[in-house]
Amino acid sequence: MANRKARPTLSPEICKGCGRCIDACAHHCIAAGTHVNPATGLVPVTLDLERCSACGLCLEACPEPYGLLPEGDEAAAEPTGQKRPPAVEDQPDTRVALPALRPLVVKGTYASAIGALLAGCRHFFGYPITPSTEGAELMAKLLPELDGHFVQAVSEVAAINMMYGCGGAGLRSLTFTSSPGFSLMLEGLSYMVGAEVPAVVVNVMRGGPGLGNIGPEQSDVKLACRGLGHGNTHAIVLAPATTQEMLDLTMLAFDLAFRYRNPVVVLADGYLGQMTGKVTLPDELVRPGLPGWAVHGDREHRPNLVSSIQLSEADLEAHNLRLIAKYERMARSEQRAELYEAADADVLLLACNTPARLAKGAVRALREAGVRAGLFRPVTLWPFPIDALRPLLRPGLRVVTVEASHGQIEDELRLALSHAGIAPPPLAHVRRYGGVLPKEEEIVSRVLGGPERGVA
Amino acid sequence: MTTAVHQAGQTMEPREFKSDLKPIWCPGCGDFGVLQALYRALSAVGRPPHEIAFVSGIGCSSRIPGYTTAYGFNSVHGRALPIAQGIKIANPDLLVLVAGGDGDGFSIGGGHLPHAVRRNLDLTYVVMDNQIYGLTKGQLSPTSHRGLQTVTSGYGSLEEPVNPLLYTLAYGAGFVAQGTPADMPGLTSVIEEAIRFPGFAFVNVQSPCVTFGEAEWQLKAHKAQMKSLAGLGHDPADRLKAMALAAQYGEELYTGVFYRNPNPAPTYDALVVERQAELRDQALPRERILDLFRKDGGR
Repeated sequence: MANRKARPTLSPEICKGCGRCIDACAHHCIAAGTHVNPATGLVPVTLDLERCSACGLCLEACPEPYGLLPEGDEAAAEPTGQKRPPAVEDQPDTRVALPALRPLVVKGTYASAIGALLAGCRHFFGYPITPSTEGAELMAKLLPELDGHFVQAVSEVAAINMMYGCGGAGLRSLTFTSSPGFSLMLEGLSYMVGAEVPAVVVNVMRGGPGLGNIGPEQSDVKLACRGLGHGNTHAIVLAPATTQEMLDLTMLAFDLAFRYRNPVVVLADGYLGQMTGKVTLPDELVRPGLPGWAVHGDREHRPNLVSSIQLSEADLEAHNLRLIAKYERMARSEQRAELYEAADADVLLLACNTPARLAKGAVRALREAGVRAGLFRPVTLWPFPIDALRPLLRPGLRVVTVEASHGQIEDELRLALSHAGIAPPPLAHVRRYGGVLPKEEEIVSRVLGGPERGVA
Repeated sequence: MTTAVHQAGQTMEPREFKSDLKPIWCPGCGDFGVLQALYRALSAVGRPPHEIAFVSGIGCSSRIPGYTTAYGFNSVHGRALPIAQGIKIANPDLLVLVAGGDGDGFSIGGGHLPHAVRRNLDLTYVVMDNQIYGLTKGQLSPTSHRGLQTVTSGYGSLEEPVNPLLYTLAYGAGFVAQGTPADMPGLTSVIEEAIRFPGFAFVNVQSPCVTFGEAEWQLKAHKAQMKSLAGLGHDPADRLKAMALAAQYGEELYTGVFYRNPNPAPTYDALVVERQAELRDQALPRERILDLFRKDGGR
């Protein structure tokens, strides 16, 4: 079409303002633009065709197939879908029944990797870091046999940005990392939240700060719930407590990531990553569809845009408001918690990940000792499952948070209570650090009025 | 050196650089040899331990500063070079050594290397290159050869390795050498030369991983295959020849100095001092420095 003599028309949503047409025009009909196109964040050129001789040179110069179109073609192009194809429909996921299989006995990171494969994830990007690496190793072994892709990136920074690229194409991608690596991924996660790109990050938390050690800790709760890079970011944070949940919640994570077009964080701890347990496989696996918004690299998805840049303040505020509304939808619909002996409890232990297992043991021991203890286990740390907690909060109830961090989980509780306008019940806690988990007897003794463990 | 307590002519014994910490590397690790060579090179250079800062990243080999009596910094994965630059800029009189593995230096830290080279602070960078991630138990490294089977490349790596020698030469390093613990005198001598070189000096040490490395590429194989560059008659002032030889990384095990700039460029530290001196002459008196921000320029 470019060799025909015709006056140009501009498609401002496709023009990137490269200016090649400006140089090509002998009559200075085309000028560099001054206004940002709100749909693209780019600055398209402007046309003033008073002196246009319809030479067609600008059409030849335009590197975009549909940036400048010959006059008359734009109307013709529209119905055939060449210029602005109609919005692409989502290709929905399909679920395929799995035959009944014998349970597996695998370590937590393996269970999580298997969950990702069953959720239809065929792209893995990661960087070795203890105690998460075995999950990556299993992906390296299995993905090539499943027509998938495994890439050992040069760093966590590279890995998360590969996921940004892969997720932008509408595909399911996974990484395994541990605390220092998670720190490096936060920048990329902020971009992905901003550009609404789904991905699943499994963080097998280890002791910090800094290099710390490779024992289990829960000290990335603050990062995952409150600090996903810069900007007003949130992601659903799932906290498994068993090998089975490593699989189930990783599968669920993909579902949520694509439902909300947002990264999802699976926060495990060093024990869960390394511990071997029995895992029952689900009844069905997922064959992923393709979301309509994807920049999939084909003709149908050509008009789509995945971007986190909004140069105009008003646009960026509107974008933030949209994201915040999405976070509120997540907060309403995605709270999950497990309750154990909680209904009649006078003392409610609050714990997640491996410490929840120790707290469960403490509940049993306390019940035997005649104390009505119960366990409240958030399965989603963000959003905090306040709706499940609220009915348990009757007068006289004490809450004891059991965690391997300096109050990061208790802070989530306090924030959730505050946002819900609930006066906090009497709060106490059992905290351990540095790869040490709270012991069952320690929890029992604290509940029975023992002193808080302090610095010797 | 204004801060030197050490008297000229006083000698330092290698054992004076040895700390009380016992290395926890696997028996047979090449890094033991690198450590010994470092003790000897530092003894030959003669600067006392308190005038030396030894920075590393994360990895098996990055434990090395702890085994010396110098100031040590076992820092952040991939960030040894930026941290070392900060230390050298803060305290230019220190002798700053940087060490790490191939993953630390060429993978996660690969982006820092060209800029450390072109900034040309007087640093010595010793990489213990074993073509594998040992600390995390045997994954692919940036110097792993194509086809290598590891736990993250069970069907063989699909990627070409980086060539640390050729890269650092291309980045413009003034001193590039290679050694192996299979040749202790040679390794000691290149490390010593690197320390003495004024400017960024790079030593790639082929230091085999006895646990996860290739069984056929251990010190015995090094001993059989290493070729001394001096023995080949290579002139270390010839940068292009050095690059041609460096291009054979992975095929030939050359030891010795590939390139030593016969006219070393001024170091960043020296240039900063020079510029400060220049500007000092033109500057406003200190009590009038805020006049720059006054409307009339302080007149």
